Amino acid sequence: MTTISKEHSDRLYWLGRYTERAFTSLRTIQKLYDKMIDDRRGYTNYLKCFGLNDTYGSNDTFMRSFLYDDCNVNSVAYSLERAYDNGIVLREEISTEALSFLQLAKDSLGKSGMSANTRLSLMPLEDLLFGFWGCINEHIYDDEIRNIIYIGKTVERLDLYIRMKYPYDIAEKEYIRLLKNLNRVPKGTPYRYNTKYLSELVIIMGTEEDYGQSSEKALGSLEHLFEPTGVTV
Amino acid sequence: MKTLSFSFSTKLTFDDYVHDHSFALRIIPPNTEAQKIISCGLDISPAVATKQTVDAFGNNVTAGYIQGDHRFLDFEIKGTAEVDSSKHCTFLMPCYLYQSEYTVPDEELRAFYTELKDKNISDVSDRAAFFSDILSDIIEYKKGVTTTATTAAEAFAMKTGVCQDFSHILISLLRMDSIPARYVAGLAFCDGETHSWVEYWTGSHWEGIDPANNCPVNDDYLVISTGRDFRDCAIDRGVMFGRYTQQLQLVRSVLA
Amino acid sequence: MTQQNIKQFTKAVGNATEINELLRRYGVKFGIYKNGVFNEQFFPFDPIPRVIASEDFKSIEKGLVQRVNALNEFLFDIYHDKKIVKEGIIPENFIYISKGYLAQCEEITPKNRIYSHISGIDLVQAKDGEWYILEDNLRIPSGASYPLIARELTRIAAPDAFSENEIVDNRNYAKLLKETMEYANCGGIRAILTPGRYNAAYFEHSYLAEHTGSVLVQNDELFVEDNILYHRTYSGGKTRIGVLYRRIADEYLDPLNFLPESLIGIPNLMEVYRSGNVGIINAPGNGVADDKGIYYFVPKMIKYYLGEEPILKNAPTYLPFYEEDMKYVMDNLEKLVIKDVAEAGGYGVVFGRDLTKEKLEEFRRTIIGEPRRFIAQEVIDFLDLPILDNGETVMRKADLRAFVLSGETTKVWASGLTRFSRNPDSFVVNSSQGGGFKDTWILK
Repeated sequence: MTTISKEHSDRLYWLGRYTERAFTSLRTIQKLYDKMIDDRRGYTNYLKCFGLNDTYGSNDTFMRSFLYDDCNVNSVAYSLERAYDNGIVLREEISTEALSFLQLAKDSLGKSGMSANTRLSLMPLEDLLFGFWGCINEHIYDDEIRNIIYIGKTVERLDLYIRMKYPYDIAEKEYIRLLKNLNRVPKGTPYRYNTKYLSELVIIMGTEEDYGQSSEKALGSLEHLFEPTGVTV
Repeated sequence: MKTLSFSFSTKLTFDDYVHDHSFALRIIPPNTEAQKIISCGLDISPAVATKQTVDAFGNNVTAGYIQGDHRFLDFEIKGTAEVDSSKHCTFLMPCYLYQSEYTVPDEELRAFYTELKDKNISDVSDRAAFFSDILSDIIEYKKGVTTTATTAAEAFAMKTGVCQDFSHILISLLRMDSIPARYVAGLAFCDGETHSWVEYWTGSHWEGIDPANNCPVNDDYLVISTGRDFRDCAIDRGVMFGRYTQQLQLVRSVLA
Repeated sequence: MTQQNIKQFTKAVGNATEINELLRRYGVKFGIYKNGVFNEQFFPFDPIPRVIASEDFKSIEKGLVQRVNALNEFLFDIYHDKKIVKEGIIPENFIYISKGYLAQCEEITPKNRIYSHISGIDLVQAKDGEWYILEDNLRIPSGASYPLIARELTRIAAPDAFSENEIVDNRNYAKLLKETMEYANCGGIRAILTPGRYNAAYFEHSYLAEHTGSVLVQNDELFVEDNILYHRTYSGGKTRIGVLYRRIADEYLDPLNFLPESLIGIPNLMEVYRSGNVGIINAPGNGVADDKGIYYFVPKMIKYYLGEEPILKNAPTYLPFYEEDMKYVMDNLEKLVIKDVAEAGGYGVVFGRDLTKEKLEEFRRTIIGEPRRFIAQEVIDFLDLPILDNGETVMRKADLRAFVLSGETTKVWASGLTRFSRNPDSFVVNSSQGGGFKDTWILK
């Protein structure tokens, strides 16, 4: 029989969030890399999305920091470390094999940092993260456990997309995914949604116009989505 | 033989809410060869389900767990017992011959014992009485200097202490003298709190002695628990979570 | 060593890099504290296996089963009638001065009378081929997961070595462990209690949890209510735990019965255990039987409890506690190895020959002052094993930790942890001292 503690359910949720943060950051930075070929400060808009100041000065310094510097909390390296930190205490839930993909991803990012061709050297990293999700689907038999990781993943993706002002039709797809995952959460468990904040999110994500105007509020609703209410629906 | 009615209560108050509070009380006096418990009721507040077990030293343990927020834990026993100090317990655990955490002597206490040991007294009871006499001469009974964490060696160095410290020092001396000795927590006629004294092994049975009052134990002593030292006999031990910074304990006991 | 084995070694050696890559990938790590900072190190693996012939292993196996059965009898006796002390076979103070003896465990009888469910017995082979017992680990012996996963990986990296040799498959450890846990189960789920990811053996805790299908827990996920041990579930419910394979030391196990300052224990666990409502693997209080001073008496225990002659030998050991032995130790200190009975993990081990004249004299006085604290042993001329060091084969000291599991019957895992010292001059092979490990092949 399955028995999950509160501590482990939180670990599962943050494992989903950090793995997704690493993945989406990686993809975005690769796109930026392309942009920076033609633009000497192609990254400033990205910084603005996260309310960060430009202390980098050059494309190269920015890239190195956001990919490899594990002291930069917005870097891929930092997110991967945190994903690993959460994963390592979940071995018996997610499997040694799933965990091994996070180790491989960390090693691969480390190697990429020493490579002459950044973009080429990053390609295996994306494959490894896909491998991780394959393991999650393959090895976790318990839907409740897997769903918590997916909730973390979809919350994180929607959060990042909103911050990066993705077009409505793309963000909406992630929002629908999130709703599907939320509907699978049993009542009385910690990742059951808070009705108040979910309703807010439903209204904002309902139309392209609201999405355009109320993104700040949407981020707030996401942040409080699992706040206990005392009354669960 | 004497019939005693006893009561004992403790109020534990926290300055903020605590939760996930596990506790173990050693408060229900045991039935032994020397005392018979006729009745004993235990009340705990907040109301909580508890379970009784008996530990390795023969003490009654009441274990409980309060999950939700609370700011106090009160417990009270009331009952009657027949005490007969002319009868004796006759089961010896070998560990009582060896020094335990609170009784391990330091250089000073060991030297003190060395000076006493060659005194020409052969009877075990006389030796125990002799050690107790000497202690009452050199150790001052004084509250507030030592704590429940003070060891025999520390109390001996300060030459002050309460009943717990007298007991630890005497136990340490007896064990150095190859006489098995154990710590007793209980209620006695003298004070409004719990009392502690010592039992030593005569070779065939346990005999009580009260070093803090330097007198033998009689029918006015009710045993609540016994053990190697204070550690085995703490009336209440607990682990709790919360943001409390202080806990206040009020203790009251009556023996009549 | 047969010609055939040498051929197979070479094949396995060819894959050294791949195997270490794989071990890295699967996170086979060992935590180590240096100057107060926690570091996770990859546990270095040497691809040249130790090979133990079938006949040789059969006799080791018999000897280990005998030894562990006697130790289990001893533990039951010590916590009940103490016949072995009353009959004068072991001096009383060896029991009660031992830090491993827990008076709180008196009169507790664990389910099926098994105290040491998982015993890690350390052996060495001398140059003449004879095996000697170095020490017994009956509390929380660690290390089984390393050869377990290494075998999984060497079979990937060097399949031919396994198809061409008749090697006993050792991948049944998790199954044996699970059976052992079930045999001690008092009704409920199986759980492995870890102090957390910063423990040296965290990899092992989580790997064994995964492979035995047990829940890996920390103390704050557990609580005792109505004399039952429960796992607190995330939905606010509780699941009963029937057997707890704890990987924390006795003194931290229950703050209401042992060290009150323990932050990793479970309050009132001992009451549940005493009442027979949960199995604890291994039983608290086992330290009295794997004390280095008690080691001396194990052959006597085998004769006393089983009426048999010991099959496996102890290393020749002297107890300075005995006058005669003290004299021998004083006369031969420079050629003996002295062990502090209270220390473990390779700490507190001193070789007389490494000491200067002054230090030797100082040490002599320490031993005279506290004779019960030390044992002295003859230095056994270990059989060196080949180790691959930067592409070259060199010879190093190695020991073998055999794992003996006591359930319905006592079984020896057909494998073990072979640890070696990286330092050519060192006899100390403990992983906490920076050694490595290799696979142990038992031939069919």
